[in-house]
Amino acid sequence: MVRLGKNAAGAEQTEYAQMDYAGEQLRDRREESRRVERGAFDLPFFLLTLLILSIGVVMVLSASFARAYYKDGNAMGIFLRQLGFAGLGIALMIFLSTLPTAFYRRMTPLLVVITGFMLALVPFLGTGKSEVGANRWFNLGFTTFQPSEIAKIAIILLFAHMICLYRGKMKTFRYGVVPFAGILAVTVFLLILEPHLSASVIILAIGAIMMFVGGAPLWCFLLGVGVVGVVGFVVVNFFPYASSRITVWQDPWSDPLNKGLQTIQSLYAIGSGGMTGLGLGQGRQKYMYLPEEHNDFIFSIVCEELGFIGAMLILFLFAVLIIRGYWLALHAKDRFGSLVIVGIVSLLAIQVFLNVAVVTNLVPCTGISLPFFSYGGTALLIQLGEMGIVLSISREIPLRKKKSEDVEKS
Amino acid sequence: MATSKNGSSRQRTNKTILGRTLFLAVVCGVVAFIVLGVQLYNVMIREHDKYQEMAVRQQTRSVAVSASRGTIYDANGKTLARSATAYTVFISPYEIKLYHEKEYKSNEKVYNDEPVLIATELNRILGADIDTMLEQMKDTKSWYKTVATKISAELANEVRKFKEEQSIAGVHIEEDSKRYYPCGDLACHVIGFVGRENFGLEGIEALYDDSLEGTNGSVVRLVAQNGTEMLFENYQNYNDAIDGNDMTLTLDYTIQSIAEKYLQQAMEANYIQNGGCVIVMNVKTGEILALANANAYDLNDPWGLPQETLDEIALIEDPEERSKAIGDAQRAQWRNMAVSDTYEPGSVFKIITMAIGLEEGVITENSSFPCYGKIPKGQIPGRDSDLNCWKHAGHGEQNLRQAAMHSCNVAFANIGLKIGAEAYNNYVRAFGIREKTGIDLSGEAGSQWWPDKDFLGWNKSSLASASFGQTFNVTPIQMITAVSAAVNGGYLMEPYIVKEMRNADGDVVYSREPKVVRQVISEETSALVADILESVVGDEGGTGSNAYVPGYRVGGKTGTTTKTALERQTGVREYMVSFCGIAPADDPEVAVLMVLDNPSKESGIYIGGGQMAAPYVGKIMSEILPYLGVQPIYEEGEEALLDVTTPRFIGSGVLAAREKAKELGLSLREVGAGDTVTAQLPVAGAQIAAGSQMIVYLGEQAPQEMVVVPDLTGKNVNAARNQLQNLGLYLDTSGASPAASGVKVASQAVEAGTEVPYGAVINVTLVDNSNLGRY
Repeated sequence: MVRLGKNAAGAEQTEYAQMDYAGEQLRDRREESRRVERGAFDLPFFLLTLLILSIGVVMVLSASFARAYYKDGNAMGIFLRQLGFAGLGIALMIFLSTLPTAFYRRMTPLLVVITGFMLALVPFLGTGKSEVGANRWFNLGFTTFQPSEIAKIAIILLFAHMICLYRGKMKTFRYGVVPFAGILAVTVFLLILEPHLSASVIILAIGAIMMFVGGAPLWCFLLGVGVVGVVGFVVVNFFPYASSRITVWQDPWSDPLNKGLQTIQSLYAIGSGGMTGLGLGQGRQKYMYLPEEHNDFIFSIVCEELGFIGAMLILFLFAVLIIRGYWLALHAKDRFGSLVIVGIVSLLAIQVFLNVAVVTNLVPCTGISLPFFSYGGTALLIQLGEMGIVLSISREIPLRKKKSEDVEKS
Repeated sequence: MATSKNGSSRQRTNKTILGRTLFLAVVCGVVAFIVLGVQLYNVMIREHDKYQEMAVRQQTRSVAVSASRGTIYDANGKTLARSATAYTVFISPYEIKLYHEKEYKSNEKVYNDEPVLIATELNRILGADIDTMLEQMKDTKSWYKTVATKISAELANEVRKFKEEQSIAGVHIEEDSKRYYPCGDLACHVIGFVGRENFGLEGIEALYDDSLEGTNGSVVRLVAQNGTEMLFENYQNYNDAIDGNDMTLTLDYTIQSIAEKYLQQAMEANYIQNGGCVIVMNVKTGEILALANANAYDLNDPWGLPQETLDEIALIEDPEERSKAIGDAQRAQWRNMAVSDTYEPGSVFKIITMAIGLEEGVITENSSFPCYGKIPKGQIPGRDSDLNCWKHAGHGEQNLRQAAMHSCNVAFANIGLKIGAEAYNNYVRAFGIREKTGIDLSGEAGSQWWPDKDFLGWNKSSLASASFGQTFNVTPIQMITAVSAAVNGGYLMEPYIVKEMRNADGDVVYSREPKVVRQVISEETSALVADILESVVGDEGGTGSNAYVPGYRVGGKTGTTTKTALERQTGVREYMVSFCGIAPADDPEVAVLMVLDNPSKESGIYIGGGQMAAPYVGKIMSEILPYLGVQPIYEEGEEALLDVTTPRFIGSGVLAAREKAKELGLSLREVGAGDTVTAQLPVAGAQIAAGSQMIVYLGEQAPQEMVVVPDLTGKNVNAARNQLQNLGLYLDTSGASPAASGVKVASQAVEAGTEVPYGAVINVTLVDNSNLGRY
């Protein structure tokens, strides 16, 4: 691991070194934030992010040029836009990595308030009704953005903050469950107003993960699973819209030109890939057969063009990034940082898992983008921003332990 | 800072967080990806073939490349049917909407402009209906709506120009193939025609459709969902079209033309009210040299009907019956009488009876066949009426040759009875009368003969009638094939039309050799039959004398029957007259059979094969024998009877003209007093009767006046020639030998009352009426 500023080890560092007990790095260090010594960010995590991002941007080009050409006459249009956002995102990531962890903690209340406003307003002032039947976006003129994306990181930061706040009381129902469940309920309610099912699912999942890691009692998860199960059963059996989704999931060919279309075309693309794929750029399903080929279904094109080997390699990179993320969480200096990393990395894992599961028809079809791959400027900025926060926290991982190990070895 | 109690609780909290984070790391970082990997493996590897096949099916378009249909040639390489490129214009309403709508958005035009423009222009160029096209364009999901098919290259170019100039999307031109028949109605029933999809419907086109059509190819290419080609994709799978085979027929254009010309003349001169057909066959090989029916139609418009038929049909009021009548008329004109219809052959069949009798040895050339006009009832087992000869007075004492020349029914009935039913039946079968000939034409019919048990029973009346060709039916092609076997050395040949096929590369893929079905009679018997047939035509008193051709040894046999079944049913008497000729009799090369259905008394010609069919078979022989390279050998005095080709006198001296005229046996009338010929009648190169008088003008011009043609029918040759000569016209004869007694003009090529220029040549058909009868 490369760390800058080794020589800048000051008096404080020596002080920490003496506080030698298990989990020291997980202290709630809010009050000491001003005195934190910051090193370099975690290079493996950074490089992995860049590598995945690069592959993703190239795949946007491959997936989008056909439709871009036929629709707008400019095959490079979508790619160049994504490339621009990727550059902007890298800058944002590096910038955010320079801000101290404490800054994020301080900003959390403000972010929560802004997110709340936006979520409350987007069903009425947002756009998207005509395209997807739900108002999920704010139109900023040059681009659009989804408040639900912000909501995810807001929930992570808020829950991490609350867990730190209720430390020692997380096992109790009153502190460990009620406030969290209440916030989640309000958020999901606002999302259902849009409506936005996939975002609700992700917010619920990430909220549950934060509670789980934060130490909430395990029985409440059993209860949660039960509630979700019952609600799901009712919805699937009594709401025709939902039940038709299940039918199409089980047999996409029951409605091949309508609801099953995306899944069928996606399976055609993925299945066509075989072991080695048709070659980068050589895919055929992107020629307007597969809808959303550069958005939610970009991984189908990856499979078609790069084959099983290529797809598994990309999933492997994601897995390594995620595991590295948890490693950073385990080594984070304080509890807040650790929880935030767990939240962000788990969010990444959930999105990757659900996206690939959807395109392979492992789970019913719903709109979930693939981080770093799917086309979308603000989503990419937010994802890279989240990586920036992880990198920011990684800067504060203390050198002490490693240094002492070095000393022991010598 | 934290208390120790806080410290221990913090420791517990930390342990929980650590443990649960590790658990998450395993679930999110490892387990989740294993699940995805398994699912990807299932879809990408295990179900790869299934999904790939389904994907490729939707990603590829196969465009047919049509094979070019083979050309049909006559025996000498003259094109009878060929395919040429034609074009189909179609519109794609989907594209019209897709492309032009985009344009309108930017140009603020009204969307409807474009369809109207396209429809108007295509109407101007192709004459397609505007409303229909506008209706087609409303179906905006469609990619293909046909506007016009089989249009010429020029029109296609005009459409292309319109497309380019106005930058129109959604109008397309496709290559297609159209069948042309350069000879119009020539040999229409042999060649046949194709339908709209270039599918053979009649004749050779139908029977050899598989060989002619070839195999369509295809181009498989990858296309985007909107049907356009994929970018940067060059995956194309060509499946080349294999063009159809070219076909060479045995049919000879020249012989076919001659046969058709004289069939037409026979139809008109004899007022034939139903059909008529003529077949010319190479007797040694079975090759069909010509085959024609009177009901000819233009192969380039096989559905078109003659105006008089249309006029008749227009009178039918019920639309259903009218369309039925149109269909019936079309089928009638496509009917190939020569192979699809049967008729009662009559005396022509005596050739077969004679051959059987000679071959069986029950008769010889010198056997005696006395005829007293009938075989009284009771003499033939099973027959309860007299068997009458056509000549009620009887032919008296006669040998076989004479019996044949007389076409004596009594004699041939007796020959049949001598042969016996079983042998006769077997020979008839051997002559191919009881099976189809196997000719390679569609729709061949079989004969109507008795079941064996009826024919072979005690009742011999069928045998007696059959012996002179009555009370059974054969097809014309069966008849000529059997006659060919009787004169060609005894070999029954399988008649055929397609001689050779070559593929598109010019390699011979099919070559037809003459096929001997069986030997029926010996060569000696056959030679004798041919010799006797020559007597029927060439000897004094022969019933076939009207088929005489000076210089050629033409043999043949007449046939005349009444349609007894029709007469029994309706009381109307109709005749079927025919003549089957062979030549040269010493070594037969060709046979010509002409069958005429229902001649009219109105023609003024005695109804009988000898008077109606024989002259035209003779005319056909007189033209095709020289064409086939048979050298004429004139007998003593025969040459003097030949028509003379007029020499060119203009510019030569009067003495030279006199000498030349004398040499040709022509007399010369001189008008004017100069030394040099300035004009002549008739013009050089005309055919005129021997002994005619030519006129030469010395220093003067020939008169330009018009002359009314007189009625010459019924006159003898000399009278006709003199009458014309007095009017300043010339005679040219064909048919019976002008030298024979009783030869009269049966019909004339230029109708009486017609005005012709002074000096014109009038062709007449001579018939020998010395020997009238239904033989």
